Amino acid sequence: MDAVKEFVKQEGVIFLSYTIFLSQNLISEFTDLIEQEIEASNVSINDSINILTIFIELTQNILNYSKTKEFGSNDTKSEGLIIVGKSITNLPQYYYITSQNIVTAADKEKMLPKLEEVSRLDKNDLKKRYRELRKSGKSMHNKGAGIGFYEIAKRSNRIEFEFTKINEDKFYFQFTSFVNIKSTE
Amino acid sequence: MENLNIEATKYTPEIIFDKSGKLSIKGKSYPENTFEFYAPVMGWIKLYFLIDTLPKLHFSTDSLSKELTLDMEIIYFNSSSSKLFFDLFDVFEENKENFDITINWLYDEDNESAREAGEDFIEDFENLNIKLVPKQR
Repeated sequence: MDAVKEFVKQEGVIFLSYTIFLSQNLISEFTDLIEQEIEASNVSINDSINILTIFIELTQNILNYSKTKEFGSNDTKSEGLIIVGKSITNLPQYYYITSQNIVTAADKEKMLPKLEEVSRLDKNDLKKRYRELRKSGKSMHNKGAGIGFYEIAKRSNRIEFEFTKINEDKFYFQFTSFVNIKSTE
Repeated sequence: MENLNIEATKYTPEIIFDKSGKLSIKGKSYPENTFEFYAPVMGWIKLYFLIDTLPKLHFSTDSLSKELTLDMEIIYFNSSSSKLFFDLFDVFEENKENFDITINWLYDEDNESAREAGEDFIEDFENLNIKLVPKQR
């Protein structure tokens, strides 16, 4: 508990949740909480919408990717860690949203080309690519449009991601989005 | 044909599709399964566009308005909702010859990304009458 407290303080955490059973209802409760916290901090409407949208995309990713039939079993638990924090000591001030969850090797193969592409493209090309994919429906899958990482990158100033091998078939996937904020004050 | 009324939840918008031609989608949109959630909406609008071409036998004979106005006021939405709105506008565009369609994209005037989303739809659907309507807070 003390260790968590210290971490929260150090990292400017405003929200931290480790869940084994993430659900749409929880995501919506979390979103409301973060919305209230951000509103109280004089963040512009535009920045706050970006932060909330990224939070929703990342948590719904955990919900979807973790549900890929938990590696052969009928288990549908959605395990993941999600952190929202802000740095006010450096300028520009920024919020960060970090998610970590376990994905299969097959999921990693699907995600990697998209992640590499969104890291490479500048804002204009990201917007173009997002609209192309939305129009063609080429990256559609059973749970969504497959353009979530493009949505996130469009709304971020910077992103970071990492896959860490657990075993032949499982990886930890960690993703962080940074959103610089313009204070309304 | 019945009106379509779907109440808002914490993560889905209020949807009112009235057969008078007044349509609106208002609120937040990030359902867990977007395409499933909006299936009745897509079904309703497709039937609306089709109904005058169907035999009258099983439907009420009151004819539907050729004039449609859709007010879209989405506070925030996930990427699959963005795809869904694209598909919805696509259905409108396919029927623009036979119907007089206006889409109002309402957004908070300080919300740049909402305005941009509206501008993107205008560019993607050059043949549709999509209007940006900034709202003061």
